[in-house]
Amino acid sequence: MSAIGWRRLSRRRVRVRRVLLAVLVFIFILPLAWTLLASLGLHPDTDVSHVKWTFPPTLRNYAEVGSVEPAFLKEMATSLAVSVTSTALTLSVSFLAAYALTRTRARKRNGRAQVFLILASLPVMAYVMPLNATLRALRIYDTFTGVCLAQTAVLAPLAVYVLSGYLRQVSLDFEEAARLDGATPVRVLLRLILPAHALSLAATGTMLFVLNWNSFLIPMMLTTSHVRTVPIAMSDFFISDRELEWPTAAAALIVSLLPLVTMIFAANRVLARFVLGGRTDV
Amino acid sequence: MPASGGRSLLILPLALVLGLFLLWPVLFGFLASFTSYSPFDPHARFIGLSNYASLMRDVYFVRAFRTIGLFTLVTVPVELLLGFAAAWLLREPFPARGMMRVLLLVPWLISPVAGGVMWRFLYASGSGILNYALTLFNLPLQPSPLGVSGHALPAAMIAEIWRTAPLVSFLLVPGLISVPSQMWQQATLEGASVFRQVRHIGLPWLKPLLLPVALFLTGNALGTFDGVLMLTGGGPGAETLTPALYSYQRAFQLNNWSLGAASAWFIVLATMLLGAGYLLLMSREAHE
Repeated sequence: MSAIGWRRLSRRRVRVRRVLLAVLVFIFILPLAWTLLASLGLHPDTDVSHVKWTFPPTLRNYAEVGSVEPAFLKEMATSLAVSVTSTALTLSVSFLAAYALTRTRARKRNGRAQVFLILASLPVMAYVMPLNATLRALRIYDTFTGVCLAQTAVLAPLAVYVLSGYLRQVSLDFEEAARLDGATPVRVLLRLILPAHALSLAATGTMLFVLNWNSFLIPMMLTTSHVRTVPIAMSDFFISDRELEWPTAAAALIVSLLPLVTMIFAANRVLARFVLGGRTDV
Repeated sequence: MPASGGRSLLILPLALVLGLFLLWPVLFGFLASFTSYSPFDPHARFIGLSNYASLMRDVYFVRAFRTIGLFTLVTVPVELLLGFAAAWLLREPFPARGMMRVLLLVPWLISPVAGGVMWRFLYASGSGILNYALTLFNLPLQPSPLGVSGHALPAAMIAEIWRTAPLVSFLLVPGLISVPSQMWQQATLEGASVFRQVRHIGLPWLKPLLLPVALFLTGNALGTFDGVLMLTGGGPGAETLTPALYSYQRAFQLNNWSLGAASAWFIVLATMLLGAGYLLLMSREAHE
């Protein structure tokens, strides 16, 4: 086939790819779009199944969230506080450890990272009940501190795995050169390593924040009333007998999702750097 | 290179947090499973293997593990496949690629709890998208699959796949982007089909990334709890009861804390076996 023929073929492939991608994105976004419409009062009638296009769309359902669950804003604030604290704690603890673990020429450093990935894959349910007993013994059951520490333990293995993926790629010689110029280890870490990894830390932190924000088992099993996060409040709606209307539930869902969506789109550039510890940019 | 004393100092905070709040609870749960311990009852007795004996006799426990096995065997491969397909489509640069990659991540941003609530309404007969679609084709309305025997588990699987496949695509895109562009050009010049390109360039290149992603997804699937709790609560009957739900119910609804701990320990065991298999595969990979 001629060169022009090939170019035509590859152009057709690109077009097919665009269409397929559009279809895929449509399928994945559709349930959310449906929810968004319902929260604005556009939803099928309960008896006759056709979408009731009420105009203009209403924000009434969002106001309804506040009257059904008066503490919703407070729960959002609690979620935010827990997520920010746990993410910061997880990043600091994991970054220091990942740095120390990767600062060796030994080949086994890769094997160590794998052990952290296995720990990260361990479901929380496997140890959350005894963890509850541990927190009671330490007198931090049902406290903000307890939730943040537990959340840090849950997510630190993943953070160590991801961060050591980034840190492995910095050559040791680079640091040794700085050391020979008279820089102290602390100075090397703070002035050299940390700034060089600011973006990677931000990307990892964004992902950790999402996991923290959505965490359910830890606050559910380790608190009774003092640390009520959004997922806990949502589950209470549905497990207890309180009947919630779909449009109100949809509005609550959209509100709880908004901070994450905003963050993800704001951090769009940073997130492009997120890599799960693989060999990928060697 | 920091002195080894300095290195231990850097690892210390992590060791403390993990030791106290992860490793000790795992060990403590294991030890407590041989006793009648409960945080609400200080008089624990040693009861040997009796918790394990009752688990083995309990049809619900065995069934919960069969259910989660099926759940994992279906959801993880489908998530990998769909995620790979989406990542493949995002492989070549185009103006909105960064945005598309992030847009595809949005379903994963929904918490399993909120996702469960959402899918319950989407499946419901009144408000749902499913029945709306049926009416478009003039088909009769159906009850929510979550309440229908035999349909609840597949329905729960779809909700899980919908939430997780986007994460997979997000994680795989950087791997495919890092393939040197000459490799694709060469393949195109040789007239290699898309299938051959996937097999001979995409998959081998992604292997070091696919294995960790698969491990992470499998571990998560084994611990499935919040999503199913919201969707079905384990029903109808016990069709969607997962081991995590089982432990929770034994410990807190039937007040048999140590039996719950014993059953939860099987999740640790399953993850450890999985991890051992993973290490084996990774070391084979490193030797190749």
